[in-house]
Amino acid sequence: MYKLIDKIFDTVIKLLTLFSLLILVFIIIFILKESTVFFKEVSILKFITGRKWNPLKSPTDLSILNIILGTLYVSFIAIIIALPIGVGTGLLLSVYTNGRWKTVARGIIDILAGVPSVVYGFMGLLIIVKFFETAFDFPTGESILAGGVLLSVMILPYIISTCSETMDNIYKENLFSSEALGTSKIYMARKIVFPESKKGIIAAVILALGRAMGETMAVMMVIGNAPIPPKLFGRAQTIPSLIALEMGMVEVGSLHYHALFASGLVLMIMLLIINIIFYYIRRGIHA
Amino acid sequence: MSENIKELLFKIWIILSGATVLFLTLFIFGYIIKHGFQSINTEFIFGNPKGIPLGAEGGVLPAIMGSLFLTVIACAFASLLAISTSIYVVYYCMSKKIENIIHIIIQCMAGIPSIVLGLFGYTLLIVNLRLERSLLSAGITLGIMIFPFIQVRVEKAFREASSTIIESSYALGVSNSYTFLRLILHMCKFEIVSAITLAGGFAMGAAAPIILTGAVIFAPVPKSLLSPVMALPFHLYILIGEGISLEKAYATALVLISLLLVINIVSMILIFRKKGAN
Repeated sequence: MYKLIDKIFDTVIKLLTLFSLLILVFIIIFILKESTVFFKEVSILKFITGRKWNPLKSPTDLSILNIILGTLYVSFIAIIIALPIGVGTGLLLSVYTNGRWKTVARGIIDILAGVPSVVYGFMGLLIIVKFFETAFDFPTGESILAGGVLLSVMILPYIISTCSETMDNIYKENLFSSEALGTSKIYMARKIVFPESKKGIIAAVILALGRAMGETMAVMMVIGNAPIPPKLFGRAQTIPSLIALEMGMVEVGSLHYHALFASGLVLMIMLLIINIIFYYIRRGIHA
Repeated sequence: MSENIKELLFKIWIILSGATVLFLTLFIFGYIIKHGFQSINTEFIFGNPKGIPLGAEGGVLPAIMGSLFLTVIACAFASLLAISTSIYVVYYCMSKKIENIIHIIIQCMAGIPSIVLGLFGYTLLIVNLRLERSLLSAGITLGIMIFPFIQVRVEKAFREASSTIIESSYALGVSNSYTFLRLILHMCKFEIVSAITLAGGFAMGAAAPIILTGAVIFAPVPKSLLSPVMALPFHLYILIGEGISLEKAYATALVLISLLLVINIVSMILIFRKKGAN
């Protein structure tokens, strides 16, 4: 009897595991399948190096270089702003907090990570965009910079938790010798934990880059959504916002529909590469 | 520059960073709570959206219920898969190579942007399986989104669970299924529930995957798995995007944020209790 239950249990676990792993395969196959229809009409090279996106013209212009550049630009701005703050907070958390305080601090970071992107977008629109419009007298506050500032707040929690994970380990490893030598906490943070956690910081940057590039709603609400060459103070478009905005109005099966899947494919490939790099760097740290 | 000054600057840097993060958190919540409270009342929470355009007056009950249903479906779907995968990786898988492959796959899934998951859900569930835009298809899409999140945390909990009890259990000839269901799940229940609630919060706040797979501008409280739903994040987006009502948008954001705060606090208390028990 027990043997039978055991056998069923084993099989169920194995089947469910297999199913979970197959989801990724399915995602790739389905996105690829819908994209190949498009790539039969328009060459891949033209799709990612052309600058014109105009699905309403006939014949349509469907190339996304401007949009890829917009996605990268806004993500880099976000990382440049968020990195110093995130690394600093990571150091503060690993060296100066312990026990319950650490759990509470983690909780706050989790809460910040849990704020929905629509809420971020809403606040970005009301605060950041409005600020650019009134303070600098821009014709429109919707810009790469507004998107970058907003995104930097959104990726902070990811940078902090990835950094402090590494920093915690380094701190614990060196705590004993450091205390024996009578060094101060700040000395330890500056001379040991910070320089030793370089790999962790790189991992954090890569993870944050992935998060920033895939972010949809918040960026869409503050960036202006115009597929033109991106400038810091001008409107731009990102791949996720392109898909979210235009998917609702396309006809299933049209070239435009398949072009949106193709842009999703481009985004997914970039992010898969980023995540594989992240995986290996992180494994290098923990090995 | 002398060492002292460098040290001082370093200190200022890390303290300022921490202060910035704390300030941002308080500011975000303070801002929403302050503005939201001015326009929230019981009619808003328990009423249906009314007015022209829809949402300009009335309440958000269908959106609250819709979001809760979506979260439950997503969590159920994701945690079943995540717990099984974690059990497999920790207790069944003997080959380091397979373990690595599984980890890479999960890392990649975690990295897929939510909008691409929305595309996937749309083409598989709606175009190919003809499920319509519904509670079920949106819930499954959200479940795929949070699966890696739960899996990583549950696996960590399994690895940290004391191995002596498990080894003794095997040594006594206790069956696999009994060991897992009665011993391991029992030891890790706080971490598992905490991971699921936290992931539920992510699912509840996500708008991108459900735009394409199930969320609609107006629907009554869903009666079956196949009916379309309203969801709070999507409702908020429509209120702002279409410029319907700023006041209602603040109130909707407050409702959403409060639900998420409750979820986060529950998850934190669970972790505290676990630490207290040890």
